[in-house]
Parts: sequence; C-alpha cells; structure tokens
Amino acid sequence: MRIRKEWTAWDEAIESKELPGAMGVYELADEDQKTLYIGKASGKSPFGLRGELFRHFSTSDRLASENWDHPQMGEGLPSVRGNARFYRFEVNHNYYSRWIEILTRYNEDHETLPPGNLEDPEQPPRLGRYHWKSEDAERGL
Amino acid sequence: MDFELSDEQQLIIDNVRRFIREEIRPLEADLDPDAFTLRPEDDERLTQMVKDMGLYQMDVPEEYSGPGIDTVTRTLVAEEISQHRAGLYAPAYGVFGHGPQGQLYNGTDEQKEKYLWPTIRGEKSGFFGLSEPSGGSDPARAIQTKGVRDGDEWVINGSKLWNSGADTADYGIVYVRTDPTKGRQGISAFIIDTDTPGFRVERLVQVLRAHYTTELSFTDMRVPHENLLGEEGGGFALANDYLARNRIPYSAAGIGVAVNAHEIAVDWAKQRVTFGEPLASRQAIQWMLVDNEIDIRTARWACLAAADKAEKGLPFRFESSMAKLISTEGAGRVVDRCMQIMGGLGMSKDLPMERWYRELRIRRIGEGPSEVQRIVMARDLLNIGSGSR
Repeated sequence: MRIRKEWTAWDEAIESKELPGAMGVYELADEDQKTLYIGKASGKSPFGLRGELFRHFSTSDRLASENWDHPQMGEGLPSVRGNARFYRFEVNHNYYSRWIEILTRYNEDHETLPPGNLEDPEQPPRLGRYHWKSEDAERGL
Repeated sequence: MDFELSDEQQLIIDNVRRFIREEIRPLEADLDPDAFTLRPEDDERLTQMVKDMGLYQMDVPEEYSGPGIDTVTRTLVAEEISQHRAGLYAPAYGVFGHGPQGQLYNGTDEQKEKYLWPTIRGEKSGFFGLSEPSGGSDPARAIQTKGVRDGDEWVINGSKLWNSGADTADYGIVYVRTDPTKGRQGISAFIIDTDTPGFRVERLVQVLRAHYTTELSFTDMRVPHENLLGEEGGGFALANDYLARNRIPYSAAGIGVAVNAHEIAVDWAKQRVTFGEPLASRQAIQWMLVDNEIDIRTARWACLAAADKAEKGLPFRFESSMAKLISTEGAGRVVDRCMQIMGGLGMSKDLPMERWYRELRIRRIGEGPSEVQRIVMARDLLNIGSGSR
C-alpha cells in the first residue's frame, strides 16, 4: 500500500531538524497532489529523510548553508525540480523493500512509474503484479 | 567420508571464490546496502561469465542440461557463493542462475514443456505456495485452501502466506486440500498460472530483512486437471522431499556469511588497538574468535555429511535437519560475536554485519524452524513415524 499520510506542503522556511534524519521512504507530489516521485532515504543517504527532501526542494545555496554538499547527496530530478509542492514520508528501517512495495502499487495502478522515477539513475528491481487496482486508482489519484 | 577435496572440487571452489571476491564484492560498494539485485548491465555481464565458467544453474540435473555437479560440491560452492553482503538470500545476486523447483521434475511431459523447460531457459519463474495464515510448520494439518473437482477442472478457494516472488512469478506450485477426510494424503499439488482469474496478490508482506513476501487469495479459481502435479493426494510427499533436499544448500549459505563475518572480525581484532594493545591480544576476544571457528567448522561438517549421504542415495533427512539447525543457529552466533568485536562499526550500514544479523534471525524460522528440525530428528531417533536414520 501507499504511504497513508496527508500531504504536507513544502515550506522553504522549515528548519532541517524538524525532519527526521532516519532512513525511510517518501513521496513527492505536484500542486494537484499527483505523485511525481517515490524515493527512499537509504543506508547511503548521508542525511536521511531530511537530506532527501531538501535535495529535491531546496536551492544549492540552502544545501550549502546546511553543509549538505556531500558527494552522495545526489542531484535533483528534472521533472521534480520546480514542480514538487507536497511531500509525505514514513520512517522505515526496511526502506528498500518498502520502496519497492510503493512503486509496485503505483505501477499497477498507473501502468507506469512516476515521472521522477523514470528519470532516476537508480532503477528498482523488476516490479511484480497485484492483479487488481487500488481505490486510489479508481479515484484517479 | 573423505574430507579431502578432489582436484576438480578445489578448482571449482577457487574459481567461485575468486569470482565473488573480484567481481561481486567490488560492485557492492556502489549498491544500496539492502539491495538484492545488480544493475542490469552488470547482471548480464556476470551471468555470461558464470556460463563461460560452466557453473550456471548448478542445481539443474545433467539430463536437463545442467552442469552435472554433485551435491557435495554444490554444498561447498554454496558456502563460497554467499560470502558477500547480499550473499545469504541473494547469493552472487542470482548470476549463477536459479533452477526450477524440484517438484517440476515429477511433472508430465506437457507440464515439463510448459513450465520446467521455460524456467530452465530463464523465460519463466515460479513460486512455492505451501504455508497459509493458519500455519506453516505443520502443513499437513494447516492447509485449508480447498480444491473441488468440477469435470476437467478444479475449483480452488483459499489463501496463502509467505510466498516469496509470487508477485513477479508466471506460475506457482500450490498445495491444496482436495480430500478433507484423508489428512496429509488429502493434499495435492497444482501448477497455477498467476494470470488465472481469481488469483490475487492481496499485499506484499514486509519482514525483518529488505525483502517482502506475499499474501495471496484464490477465489473460485478454475485450474485445469492437467495442472495437477504428481498424483492426486501426493502433494505432501512432493513438498516434503523438496524441503529436505533444499535444506542442505540453504544451510551451507549460512556458513558462508559466518565465514565472511569471521574474516572481517579477525582482521579488525589484529589492527584495532585499545588501551595500548590490539584487540586480538585480549582473551575475551580470542575466545569469541575461537568459538566462531568452532561454530563454522561444526556447521560445515554437518552440511557435508548430509550432502554426502544425499549424494550416495542414502536416507539423509536426519542429517539435513541437523545441518539446518546447526548452521543457522551457529551462523547467528558468529555474526553476533563479530558485531560485538567490531563495536559501533559493526552496527553501522557501512559494514554488512547488521544486514547479516537481521537475515540470519529469519534463517532460524525459514525452511522449518529449529524446533521443527528437532521434531524431525526426534521422530527418526525414536522411530516414530516414517523414515529411518
């Protein structure tokens, strides 16, 4: 199943410490709350979920001011950068399999991956099938 | 039993060891610490290397185009192939190839044509559907999924749990109660295509390691009689044989992880200095390392003894259960001690220890919990039920 949380609007004024530095999964959405990207803060993410969210939403100046110019931070994705308005996340030690689960659900419902994931250098393993669509898909989400 | 390796066995082991250390481990530096697949280009390149080495699909019998490697050698290889971060559950990230489930060799010619050969060629994959929400350790009694004959078809209703790979599989071998009056003789095995109407993956079930299993439901799922695998009522015997055979390489993989963890801990103990002396000079550390070595060697001998009996066609159920119990529990202890020796570094995702620790905990449950292995051995020891030592 997808992350069962309300979307939160990104506010550039947010303090980084308000977001968890832990591992987990997250979703980014556009102004219509359509999913743009399903990501993970992995064991290799240098600043956990907070670093992942900041790298998609913030400017390089802000990242530098947080001392977040770590080489493993990764780049923002073209279809996400400038288009993402909302986020939601889940702290989860099993971020990798949970990431695959959320991608599998999205892929089954939409028969494609979110635009940001299609651009992502890290592609997931072969995704499986549920053989049924979720209520979200029926409602056009 | 001769513990000396033949020249051929030593050559295979040396090649696999070099392959894991020179080809697999370096790639892991760039992969997610919990990854269980390689990048497609690496997967393709390394699979071809394994085919060129003549070691692809080692568990496929020679008459089905496999390389014809004996059980003892496969056990030795299983120990080598798992000596990397993902090695316990994704040895060499699958580039040595997966053979079909053993039960398919009992299929009809038509079933082999439709499922066995495409699986050997890598065109299809299957899952194993035995456990249910009602239980897994005692499938003869726990299976509630029912099959009712209707002309040339069976109508199947029920659910399954802990089916790894069912969401990506093309078919599954599913165990169904076809005669509620006959106990274990009332269970039959069916080959079920995953695109059959009524087949549904209800959810992916997250577990302790970076892996998921599935929960399945079958609603008025109509399966042709020709998909019955083996005899009607013979499903439990098929499953039991498959489980006993699978326990040997499953056990050896645990040893491989223990060996890898132990090597890292030995190196660390020699170079890490505390209070002016290397850790290796401390008796507390020395004893932990010696206990590791004892656990590893005991498990290795138990696995090879089981493999030797299986290879000679002798009853090996007792030995395979003993190997499974000794290796999974011993490997868990080894990795636990290694983490203690490594200190904070052992807890971090910079090293593979924390992944092995989580995965080895599951190993004491998967393929039959330690307690069930003891039950199997006790039955043989006390001559209760079928089989002998």
